[in-house]
Amino acid sequence: MNAKSSKPSRTSYDDIVIGGGHNGLTCAAYLAKAGRKVLVLERRHVLGGAAVSEELHPGFTFSVCSYVVSLFRPHIIRELGLTQHGLQIIPLEASFLPLPDGDSLVRWSDAERTRREIARFSPRDADTYPEFGLAMGRLARFARHIIDHPAPEPTSFDPRDLMQLLRLGRVLRDFDGDLRYLNFKLMTMSAADFLDLWFESGVLKAPMSVSGIIGTFLGVRSPGTAYVLLHHYMGEIDGAFRAWGFSKGGTGGLSLAIASAAEGFGAEILTEAPVERVLIKGGRAVGVVLDNGDEIRAKQVISGVDPNRTFLRLVGEDHLDDEFTQQIRRYKLRGSSGKVNLAVDRLPNFTSRPGDGPHLQGDIAIAPGIDYLERAYDQAKYGDFSERPYLNVVIPSLVDPSVAPPGKHVISCFVQYAPYEIKEGPEFWPQRREAFGDAVVDTLAEYAPGLKESILYRQVLTPWDLEQDFGLTEGNIFHGELSLEQLLFLRPAAGWSRYRTPVRNLWLCGSGAHPGGGIMGSPGELAAKTLLKSGVS
Amino acid sequence: MSRYDVIVIGAGHNGLTAAALLAKKGRKVLVLERRDVVGGLAAAEEFHPGYRSGGLLHDTTGVRKAVIRELELEKHGLRTRPHRPDVLALGDDGQSLLVRGDRVKAVEEIDCVSKKDAWRYADYHAFVDRVRPVLQQFLNEPPLDLVNLETISIRDGLGRGLKLRRLGRRDMMELMRLPPMCVGDWLDEWFETDLLKTAMALPAVAGTFMGPRSPSSNMNLLLWEAAAGPGVVGGGPALIAALEAAARAQGVEIRTGATVERIVVDSGAVKGVVVASGETIEAGAVAASCDPKHAMLGLLAPGVLPYRAAERLRGFRTRGTTAQVLLALDSVPRFAALPDETVELARTGSNMLTIERAFDAVKYRTIADEPVLEIAVPTVVAPDLAPAGHAVLSVLVHFTPYDLEPEWNDAERERLGDRVMAILDRHLPGVSSNVVAGVVLGPPDIEKRYGVTGGHIHHGEHALDQLLIRPTPECLRYATPIEGLYLCGSGSHPGGGLTCAPGLGSGLEMQHF
Repeated sequence: MNAKSSKPSRTSYDDIVIGGGHNGLTCAAYLAKAGRKVLVLERRHVLGGAAVSEELHPGFTFSVCSYVVSLFRPHIIRELGLTQHGLQIIPLEASFLPLPDGDSLVRWSDAERTRREIARFSPRDADTYPEFGLAMGRLARFARHIIDHPAPEPTSFDPRDLMQLLRLGRVLRDFDGDLRYLNFKLMTMSAADFLDLWFESGVLKAPMSVSGIIGTFLGVRSPGTAYVLLHHYMGEIDGAFRAWGFSKGGTGGLSLAIASAAEGFGAEILTEAPVERVLIKGGRAVGVVLDNGDEIRAKQVISGVDPNRTFLRLVGEDHLDDEFTQQIRRYKLRGSSGKVNLAVDRLPNFTSRPGDGPHLQGDIAIAPGIDYLERAYDQAKYGDFSERPYLNVVIPSLVDPSVAPPGKHVISCFVQYAPYEIKEGPEFWPQRREAFGDAVVDTLAEYAPGLKESILYRQVLTPWDLEQDFGLTEGNIFHGELSLEQLLFLRPAAGWSRYRTPVRNLWLCGSGAHPGGGIMGSPGELAAKTLLKSGVS
Repeated sequence: MSRYDVIVIGAGHNGLTAAALLAKKGRKVLVLERRDVVGGLAAAEEFHPGYRSGGLLHDTTGVRKAVIRELELEKHGLRTRPHRPDVLALGDDGQSLLVRGDRVKAVEEIDCVSKKDAWRYADYHAFVDRVRPVLQQFLNEPPLDLVNLETISIRDGLGRGLKLRRLGRRDMMELMRLPPMCVGDWLDEWFETDLLKTAMALPAVAGTFMGPRSPSSNMNLLLWEAAAGPGVVGGGPALIAALEAAARAQGVEIRTGATVERIVVDSGAVKGVVVASGETIEAGAVAASCDPKHAMLGLLAPGVLPYRAAERLRGFRTRGTTAQVLLALDSVPRFAALPDETVELARTGSNMLTIERAFDAVKYRTIADEPVLEIAVPTVVAPDLAPAGHAVLSVLVHFTPYDLEPEWNDAERERLGDRVMAILDRHLPGVSSNVVAGVVLGPPDIEKRYGVTGGHIHHGEHALDQLLIRPTPECLRYATPIEGLYLCGSGSHPGGGLTCAPGLGSGLEMQHF
């Protein structure tokens, strides 16, 4: 449905973008908008990378990998005019936590309703909850500054870098002492410890803490996971946007809107055009070679694929110095999550809240307690998938009927933990795939009996599959662990956070560049803007 | 009733350091110690007639040179060792590796196991040597106020920045990358030999709520390496003896068996303390070397400490994770791995995952099937701790939860003791038949005996946030919101261990009072 395969119209471009994921497309759109001749090359037959919709079962369209749009920067929507290209975000209204004892907690977008829900577990927490949201919303201002600009360079004496540090300092200056301390704590603590400072109820803390670990190979008790809690509050500050939402037509709808905008600006997009390597002459990137041997030339080459694959495969160590190669080799990817997509003939019926209802229209978390989450993590540490994993489940067909036949539904289960490195070795994942899928379905069925009987089709994606099918090294959905030592000016390598690479005229624009993974569009946008500002031809 | 310039609460190594330092500056100082012995966690404890432990803290490598110099501890009998103690790393499968304290010998020894690691070990230390000045500046100077950046003077800020820059771009970037990492990842980048890595990693996670896979555990390793000197002869008790002698020589009065019940505050300023006997002792200032929670939430009357400061202090994490097993032996212990050598210090844990697994237990409030042990034989360096020909084993059982479920009781102590004996029997064949007596101290026992909240041997978790701002922004530089009340223990900058650094920092800060 979005096949664009054809031959390139020219033999030489200003820019070639490798990878038609949402970042590559965003980057291409900005470059084309600036009047450059841009070509996007996508290996697969569909666009979107991990932000993709595919009809895997007749009549059922799945957001195969990424399933909610939470962080996509609103100014990118405006600047690229994505709404005119069909982008429509449907907000998620609830966050539902079924519990094994038959109870449940729903956090609604309506604050008063949420307060009453939480008060059933802890009146004190119910009062603290809005206060927490307020504080986090204010701290998100600081985070937004970091996300919307290239990473600050603390070691540089360049006046522009110093100005940027000053700007950040100014944001901090507006914070009072409490907020600054909170900010400091948030940047260093574990999600569980940070929430302990606020709340007493484990029922509330567990589902809140999980936003700190999504996509990482860390547990909620691992220091450094607290700051990711901010992601949940990023949306609100921008007013126009809700914290979480579905893209109409699945997550791929977003990618297609960006692609359409890019084409509107004159960019050319090819699918089924796998790049074999970056063409390097005299230490400069001068184009790419496709798998079929075709050479396409460009003044600039921008890679949207992860740093590991970009440098160790597409560029090759011969073109890199030892120190940089070393840095890329030790860059941690370590995928830790999987995905199970289900087509069902009826809605799941949760014991704790029977029947259909608005509680199913948001995200459903299987996270009954901090210990449960830690146990899931521990199994992964020793090379197993979690028998009882953390699940984040959404049923997009409830709010977007276009993705399933009438009366039927698609269920998307994000699963953690599924370590890439299982004991047997990652290449044994295909043998364990169905057992992994069973663990997920069994877990969910404990809360929603009858689920198994309703399944018409099941797709199980392990980290191995994410690597094989989507080109995500070690199945890491964020193109590299979002741990503190791999963020900001250290992403992907010390001194190379500004989208440039040691290979001249080769740039990075994917989630392996600042500010990292998630459907933000920021790496793509910032890479394009940096390139345009740099004055290269 | 006499009046003192300063009352120091607690005669541990930090309390004694602060007291001696202040007395040296001409202050009239009284030290009040709840127990009948001085030394706190470092005191030699008689746990069975004729057998004394070498204290709870085995590691004296962090003792600050500045303290030894300033208090002339060598005049009072302190002797430094030629180099760090050798560490015998013990694997479960009978494998072992002796990591020599003498760096040249260490490289030779490692070379027999892995040529690459021997070479890397030298490289690793070369790196640590290069970045040491920056880390030592962090450790030995008053902390920067990271919450109120504008209070940092330009001179201070630039001074530190320049020191960092002087490392050169590569080391500087590296030094910024390392602190948030987990110690397992960093050591994996350097070495391939498991036992070398586990022996090196343990100081980073000992006493903490972190395993080798926990981010920011690497900060602890960096700081430990930066501070580690050769250590002192005779261990903790010898250090305490020298500190006590130095303090007394400066005119410090030390009262044992004197429990402080309350710090007396009037109009926001310290007036003195009330001890258990009911006596009020007046003083212009109080330096508390007990943990910050006890000092400010326990010893101040409710409402004295401002609400926010109290709230933040309550958030200071003090879940203890260390238990101690003390054994009196009727002969000198022989390790199967090195039957002909005298071993002073051994660590168990075959590889990083073994340590990580042991750590998991603390999260679930249980005792690990296979706890990780640090086995010290204090009688090797202090033979007078036991009758001639006999010995004492002091075993620190890492990752033992304070909040054990269902509760700490004799049955659980027994269970822990049995697990430890089973591991010891593997490495010290037949040792159980040599045991004259044994004592198990869980974290709650340590809390009770030493008065440290949560039984935390560092007075508070060693995690990135609590090391950079320790314990809270209000008490960052030893002074507290109460005029005249200072902290001088391990709960303040730069943290726990037998370093005397908080006592030194606090003593220097209080001179201005």
